[in-house]
Amino acid sequence: MSEVLGLASPEWFAQLVTRLVALDRAWIDYAIWPIVQIALTLFIVATLVAYLVYLERKISAFIQARLGPMRVGPWGLLQPLADLVKLISKEDIIPDKADRAIFPLAPMISVMAGFTCLAVLPFGPTWLHIADVNIGLLFVFAFSSLGVLGIIMAGWSSNSKYPLLGGLRSSAQMVSYEVAMGLSIVGALVFTGTLSLVGIINGQIRSGVWNIVYQPLGFFIFLVCGLAETNRTPFDLPEGESEIVGGFHTEYSGFRWSLFFLSEYTGILIVSSVATTLYLGGWQIPYVTRMIDADAYPLIYALAGLASFTAKVAILIYGFMWFRWTFPRYRYDQLMDLGWKWLTPAALANIVLTGIVYTLLKSGFKLPFAGPDESYIGPSSASSRVAMIIAMCAIATPVALAILAFINRGTADWDIADQRQRQIAARADRRARIEADRAQVSE
Amino acid sequence: MNLRKVLSRYFLIDLLKGLRVTFKQQAPGEIITEQYPRVRPIVGERFRGAPRLNIDPDTGESLCIACNLCAIVCPENCIEVGWENREVTAGGRAAQKRKVLTTFIFDTSRCLFCNLCAEACPTYCLELTQDFELASYTRKDFIWDREMLEQGRKITKYTR
Repeated sequence: MSEVLGLASPEWFAQLVTRLVALDRAWIDYAIWPIVQIALTLFIVATLVAYLVYLERKISAFIQARLGPMRVGPWGLLQPLADLVKLISKEDIIPDKADRAIFPLAPMISVMAGFTCLAVLPFGPTWLHIADVNIGLLFVFAFSSLGVLGIIMAGWSSNSKYPLLGGLRSSAQMVSYEVAMGLSIVGALVFTGTLSLVGIINGQIRSGVWNIVYQPLGFFIFLVCGLAETNRTPFDLPEGESEIVGGFHTEYSGFRWSLFFLSEYTGILIVSSVATTLYLGGWQIPYVTRMIDADAYPLIYALAGLASFTAKVAILIYGFMWFRWTFPRYRYDQLMDLGWKWLTPAALANIVLTGIVYTLLKSGFKLPFAGPDESYIGPSSASSRVAMIIAMCAIATPVALAILAFINRGTADWDIADQRQRQIAARADRRARIEADRAQVSE
Repeated sequence: MNLRKVLSRYFLIDLLKGLRVTFKQQAPGEIITEQYPRVRPIVGERFRGAPRLNIDPDTGESLCIACNLCAIVCPENCIEVGWENREVTAGGRAAQKRKVLTTFIFDTSRCLFCNLCAEACPTYCLELTQDFELASYTRKDFIWDREMLEQGRKITKYTR
């Protein structure tokens, strides 16, 4: 039973506990081990999030030819600690006109939504994930979208104009990217045939190929929507510090504000982890994972997996920060445009094309595919893998782009030089008309 | 719309170009921030900062001959030279009556660092150095006496 739920504690931990106190194995598996896991995960993630802020400040500094925090500790490494002390010791303020019930609740919901997702994230093989739920992916999506509720509540309950605008923007943003995000993962699920995050990784280990090569478009859409979901630039409309002060958290300060901060960076961690799991093979290391005997060296296998997962997540997080300091913020209508006219049709086209290619290769060309009762149902031999990669990258993706081009044939281009030329042409046209009118009048 | 434009639109070439620029900016050599109190900045040679009265390194006496030219040329009247006529025996020669510097007051709070005084100085005694840390807690501290001008301001060591 405990193996089915993925709750089994590792052998060394069980031995350690039984040496200290005589306990039933079931107690260790179901009560003590999960609590230890939860405490460790929360501690590590909270610390990591604090250091993500440090990393963000460093990366932004390097991009702007600065040094970033340097004064607290060597290379400013103790800066997160100093920030934490400052934030905790600040005065707790609830504005006079704010809704006193909802105002404190909003940051709690945001943080809760972020931290609950950690329960199912597969940080590593065997004992390194807390729970292996068979609807893990749905669970993550449900809870990470709940974070938006916290933002909307914060915007509304502050009873002030800028937070309200931020909350409104957040709700508008959510409806435009959440659909595309949900649709973008379906293409990857066609190959895995399971919603369990551990199952998805195991499928990729079994096939030996990461889903990103079958689903380049899906990965791209997921990444863009992930940026929007975590309110990162270029989609940081709800925050919009240069337009609406601080957006939804304008009225927040001290510890409540730091909770929003915590939830934002936890969100980045979750989106990167899900992208790693779905598309980058999770804890798999190409060629290496297969060489390690999981049964003979469980600890090495687990730790190598954890290192691989962390490295992939770190690269994605770096990407998130890199994008933040490169791209300017989208306008409200541009985001709608992107969500509804580009991402959603692209995700839909991706699903249809993946389905067509899959069915064609499996039933039409009779290439070998893994059976329906396994957790992996993708291509299972070298020939079918190559055929699938060629079909998805070289045929399906250009077709999807062509469909996008057809749908958006009337959409205005965001090319600023082009817009300027159009403006000049329109002005010349107007002037010609006015002169024609004048000539008519003088006649 | 030509093909190149279409391709750059669908493969997001502009965004990739932007990413390339920001990525290249991260090279450690690009950083121009100075770690000021810990690392002293390199000040330009012609920068005019704190004044100094130079001392003859051979004899250890002030180079100043109390000619008062600096005080005369100063547009802000911030220099005050005090002297007395004294019998001086120098270099084995017979005693001579000479102007000898007694006090030298330089008001740095009024100084505009025009360098006219240093240019007027016939013995290259008065000089504006590259020392730029002239801030002080009281107005009185801005008025530098002869000793301070000769020894230089005590530089505060910032350990942290």
